[in-house]
Amino acid sequence: MILHDKNLLDNLALTSEAESLQNAGFINKEQRNLIRKELPSFKIQNNILVRIGFFLLGAFLYLSICGVIALIGLTSSSSERIFFEMCCYLFAAVGIAGAEFLVIQKYYRHGLDDAFILGILLNVGIAVGISTEHHETPLIPAVFVAIASFLTYRRYLHLVSMLVFCLASSAVLFFGLIEIGDIGKTILPFAAMLIAGGFYFLTKRSLKNLTEVYYFNGLLLINSYCLILFYLSCNYLIVRELSSELLGFDILPGQDIPFAFFFHAFTIIIPIVYLVQALKTKDRIMLWVSFASIAFSIYTIRFYHSILPIEAALTLGGLVLFAITYFSIKKLKNNETGLTFKPDRINNSNSLLNAEALIVASTFGLKPEVKPADSPMDFGGGGFSGGGSNGSF
Amino acid sequence: MGKFEEEASRSLLDKNLITENQYQEITTYRNLNIFSLNAELKLFLYLSVLLFTSGIGIIIYENIDTIGHIAILSILLIVIGVCFYFCFKNSKGFQKSQAVFDNPVLDYLVLAANILTCIFIGYLQFQYETFGTHYGLATLVPTLVSFFCAYYFDNKSVLTIAVTGLAAYVGFSVTPQDVFNHNSALYASQSLSYSAIMLGVLLILWTIYSFKINLKTHFALVYLTFALHIISVASISNMYDYELIWLFFAAILAVSSVYFYKISHQLKSISLYVFMIIYAYAGLNIFIFRIFEKIDFSNLWEIFIVLLPVYFVGSIVLFIKLIKNFNKEIA
Repeated sequence: MILHDKNLLDNLALTSEAESLQNAGFINKEQRNLIRKELPSFKIQNNILVRIGFFLLGAFLYLSICGVIALIGLTSSSSERIFFEMCCYLFAAVGIAGAEFLVIQKYYRHGLDDAFILGILLNVGIAVGISTEHHETPLIPAVFVAIASFLTYRRYLHLVSMLVFCLASSAVLFFGLIEIGDIGKTILPFAAMLIAGGFYFLTKRSLKNLTEVYYFNGLLLINSYCLILFYLSCNYLIVRELSSELLGFDILPGQDIPFAFFFHAFTIIIPIVYLVQALKTKDRIMLWVSFASIAFSIYTIRFYHSILPIEAALTLGGLVLFAITYFSIKKLKNNETGLTFKPDRINNSNSLLNAEALIVASTFGLKPEVKPADSPMDFGGGGFSGGGSNGSF
Repeated sequence: MGKFEEEASRSLLDKNLITENQYQEITTYRNLNIFSLNAELKLFLYLSVLLFTSGIGIIIYENIDTIGHIAILSILLIVIGVCFYFCFKNSKGFQKSQAVFDNPVLDYLVLAANILTCIFIGYLQFQYETFGTHYGLATLVPTLVSFFCAYYFDNKSVLTIAVTGLAAYVGFSVTPQDVFNHNSALYASQSLSYSAIMLGVLLILWTIYSFKINLKTHFALVYLTFALHIISVASISNMYDYELIWLFFAAILAVSSVYFYKISHQLKSISLYVFMIIYAYAGLNIFIFRIFEKIDFSNLWEIFIVLLPVYFVGSIVLFIKLIKNFNKEIA
């Protein structure tokens, strides 16, 4: 099923290992360059900026090819209506041809291939969507996109396709249960929770028994996606807003959704379980998911019971967070093994910290006090964007 | 992932690409089973500073008339004082080269102190008009404080605040949202574009001078990033102008692209290189478009659409070559 050369995929694992060993200082640059030279590799872009650049160029190319087809189709076909129904299938075919061509030319994670593969999925979705316009929910397009993205993942080992597959499958579940009717809508959160939990343990087991390295990232992605879906499926905020949206519940003051207690408890307990489990099993992805879910849980609670005004919450939150972090650093500082504050030589997530300066510039950048268009006497409300005084946090 | 990484090092050893010694070293290190929270905890420190200063900012903004001014000012002053006290106490003094605190917490204290100082001065000006109608001064003072902190404590985040402050003093906003927002003041008037380009050139000159006297050369990337974006965006936005002046801005863009082409190779900075290419490409396309505008092609537009894919294939080939060259030269 995989179109890529398996030798190259194996080599990719080796060169990326060499890369991380060089960053960790175990081998020197000459050695890494030698390894790179020895092992033939894909045309690959590891730098995300370059990859995005090529993605954009690829998208332009794709669009321009589609433009040519549209031009020929519109001038030569007799009925515009038929052409519009057909064109997205044609565009998807262009995507398949492009992706096959690029993959045979050994492009992998290059940006260009991403553009064509994602183009296939997008066009399949739109094409089926147009063909099934009269249908009530977008269930059928979701099914087709899920199938298509699974196939593109298996054929091109394209990780973003896997993400699309996860999203599309969730959409299938969601719309499928809605089509069943009121019962489906009622059991939606529980069904999503059980399925996410089930797939989490399933993928976890297959990750453990996996022998082919190139399926690792895809499985890991499903695994992490299930973690997130599991939390979101029974989050109080989401359940409540969805049930009032889907079932037409009008929640009066003093009333609550059914099983409110369960959802409340779930919202609070799951992030903590994640955090503890992540630290115990040293699972970095789960750790980040737990941070995100803690943040979302706090948001959920504040959404319904705002105890403190926003500014006090921010200030106090900042202080508390600072205190917690400060003491954790103090405690972990001198650990030599296991949990530690010392940077890991091999897996460091420093790229995140590099974005710091950018965030500071966007939130705290000084702005001119007097806009040139205004009169010089007009002093507009303190020119400092100091502390995002617009409260857009 | 553990088992696959170990497998990979094992097979690197089998292929004689790493030595037995290195392999031993790697496995010993892996067996320590290190799970580092370094980045995460630093991020939290950073987040706490952002939350805290935002909260303070909003409190002051909303209660500007209710709480006593003196109370606000004195609390702010105390917090700033405490932050700076710890920073100065633990700093090793000014150094010309890159310097790091022993304790990473202090980096974030510097940031907090600096942001609070900006809020403090802004509040002073708003309430008491300390600088009278010299509005520029109210921007310049925090800018100078930020520059001092950035250089003294070696803090890049503070440096970015200082540079945005400098731009604000000149009269425009260079926060990332504004640079890419087409309604911002940067595009409002041509005279502002000139000052923007001047500022960009000044920043470049400053980096050249810094390299000469060996002063904090690792800041160069921050300055150059600002300079690249300011100059390129200012000139590209003026290339839509109807007057013939757009040719002048096209020339500026061309010159700056050449300069950044060279400097990105020197600094081995792929981000500068990629953005330079993107701006140059955008500029080139606008240039071609403006030229074609003059000629009447109305009957031939179909040919254009057919030629477009060829044009993009050509660009892609060119880009692949450019990136390949860059990677080869910095390797």
